Amino acid sequence: MPFGDDFALKYMGGRGFGAKILYDHLGKIKDPLGPENILTIAPGPLTGLFLPGAAKTHLVALAPLTGIYGDSNMGGNFGSELRQAGYDALVLTGRAEKLSYLWIDDDDVELVPAPDLAGKGALDTERAVKEALQSEEVRVAAIGPAGEKLVRFASINCDWGRNAGRCGMGAVLGSKNIKAIAVRGGQDLPVADASELRLLTETSLRDLSDHPLFEFWQQQGLMSVVDYLNTAGGLPTRNFQQNVFEHAEQIDGFKMEREFKIGDTACFGCPMSCGNICLVKNGKYKGTITEGPEYESACTLGSNLGVSDFAAILKGNQLCDELGIDTISAGVLVGTMIEAVDTGLLRPSDVDGMKLEWGNSDQITTLLEKIANREGVGDVLAGGSKAVLEKWPQLDPILVQTKGMEQSAYDARATISMALAYGTSDIGAHHTRAWTVGKELELGAKWTNEDRVNIVMYHQTIRPLFDMLGVCRLPWIELGFDEQRYAEYYSAVTGVPHRLDELLERSRALWDLTRLISVSRGISRKDDYPAPRMFDRPIEGGQYAGRVVDRGQYEELLDLYYQRRGWSEDGLPPAETAKSFEDRLT
Amino acid sequence: MPKRLSVVPERCSGCRLCESVCALQHFGVSNPKKSAIRVIALYPHPVIRMPVACRQCAQPKCRENCPTDAITLEDGVVRIDGEMCVSCRQCVISCPFGAIFVHDDIPVPFKCDLCGGHPQCAQQCPKGALQYVPEHELGEANRVAAVLRYAHMKEVEYVEKGERKKLRYAEIGREQSD
Repeated sequence: MPFGDDFALKYMGGRGFGAKILYDHLGKIKDPLGPENILTIAPGPLTGLFLPGAAKTHLVALAPLTGIYGDSNMGGNFGSELRQAGYDALVLTGRAEKLSYLWIDDDDVELVPAPDLAGKGALDTERAVKEALQSEEVRVAAIGPAGEKLVRFASINCDWGRNAGRCGMGAVLGSKNIKAIAVRGGQDLPVADASELRLLTETSLRDLSDHPLFEFWQQQGLMSVVDYLNTAGGLPTRNFQQNVFEHAEQIDGFKMEREFKIGDTACFGCPMSCGNICLVKNGKYKGTITEGPEYESACTLGSNLGVSDFAAILKGNQLCDELGIDTISAGVLVGTMIEAVDTGLLRPSDVDGMKLEWGNSDQITTLLEKIANREGVGDVLAGGSKAVLEKWPQLDPILVQTKGMEQSAYDARATISMALAYGTSDIGAHHTRAWTVGKELELGAKWTNEDRVNIVMYHQTIRPLFDMLGVCRLPWIELGFDEQRYAEYYSAVTGVPHRLDELLERSRALWDLTRLISVSRGISRKDDYPAPRMFDRPIEGGQYAGRVVDRGQYEELLDLYYQRRGWSEDGLPPAETAKSFEDRLT
Repeated sequence: MPKRLSVVPERCSGCRLCESVCALQHFGVSNPKKSAIRVIALYPHPVIRMPVACRQCAQPKCRENCPTDAITLEDGVVRIDGEMCVSCRQCVISCPFGAIFVHDDIPVPFKCDLCGGHPQCAQQCPKGALQYVPEHELGEANRVAAVLRYAHMKEVEYVEKGERKKLRYAEIGREQSD
């Protein structure tokens, strides 16, 4: 269906389109895994164009993991191809009769029954679909067995390991009986002023490559964060018990470069090539090849499980990609199980007789497979944090999650602004909406509460703006790329001059919309807290030893945050918001 | 001095900036399907990302197979004459590298013309995977790399004036595999 200019300019694309479409259908949705859930797969208006990091595709639906507003995004080449086929969004609802893949060849759209893909890994599926279509140039997004089995943190893979990991979008696709989406397109992308855009981009690319960290970034990508955070005393270790991992140098970017990296990989149009392709050349996991890990996976499948063998992390990463599960959720849940058995909160008989211990990669790979196949204890874990806490309420103090989403691999106890970021993130404890760790570690000593709320809100506004535009935030957050550029790009693309503050206001208004979606599912102040562990369990070791999030200060931050958003003390947007946000988007 | 577009596949990240800028340069549009260079990415067996563009062959198969003599080789650049071309696609099929392209919107097949001596793809490549180099340098990089690969076989660590250093050396004549 055509959207119209008004819709396109107000909601821009990506997360914006998805949130609006979800909001409009909300009344019909009971179960995120029911056929009535509506999944929007949308690149943005900048996706596929000649500008840095223009590769993102957003997936928006009611989230199986949390039951509230959910989105996740993936890079690679899927979004640019989808736009070239002429689509700014795919909107999926209902359910295919048989397991099928969707084949979009420009204007021709076909649902191809493919029962033989059942149970196949996500990358194997990509291979099989490319073979069936006899083309290496089609782009394929696919789910693994976990998506078919409706694991609530199932991911969607595209381009051999670019994953939309969070929220369980793979399970939404699985619930619709869609195993994969293949796309090919040859159309020109709409740009009002192509020569202006080209000039802007050529300057941008020069600016980026002149950055002193540019080459280092190409070499390590996000893997550089392991060493940075461990040195700073912020590397989650053994289920967020410690913040310094004694074997960090065995799992960091330098180790990867020396012994495992065999190639670089980049998303469409991005000079930063943050992807690392790694191969295990020796030992038990010899022959394991994977794109990654990036930082989150190295931590959640590494230090946070006490794993000091980089090859084992690669194996875990490859398994998660192939099985189609989110490495963050899986890693945090497995870590929780290990700690639970280690400390006696659970007995080995609760976890299929496994005497779980830190750093045991065999047990970890077994658990990952059990999750994806819903076997034994894996069937409980496959339900995500909510299901785990329902079965074992005693795990509440050790399971690090907010709103049912397992927390990303950044601690919040040394940086209370990050606690606020997790508590108020619209999808749950994920760092995508605001990542203030670096800034607060550097400058936080002088910050007031006002400063903390300001930085969280600024992040929660500009980062979702990137998600509406379909671009990656990494040039901005990692290499200090000037955010004003995005307004210039958007103006050149639409032919309508826009200032950055106007775009930010739309993003800010959209935040109210995603809040309203979640409020309709019962979300309020009570849910806007980081995990109990952040308040109650002091960090062990490192320069922040003993630190916890101060409850009193957190309440003050939350009050201030709601005031700034214009929400009630209970975190509810005022009744008129629902009516007025459309006007604010103009 | 004649120059060539040279590809170093092991440096390519597959970002396709080359495709984007090529289409903009030649057709003024954002459409990688209208670019005269394409990155093929294969995974996982083997892992390779490689840009494919015309090599401006000295004995072009495309020219040999062109039934209307629309293809010429001048100053080291193979060109398709749009007036003489009947768009039979013979060149597309006969190019051993698949470096001649077609698109519904464009009446005749198109290929790399080296942007009049300033290839934009090489200029924008963020990884140095595309290089525009004098012909006599072709192969030199490979020669050095071949020697280096051999010399990387062994590494010895030592301390000099309190500083930890590494020396690489080859055990001549003894290939070593992991």
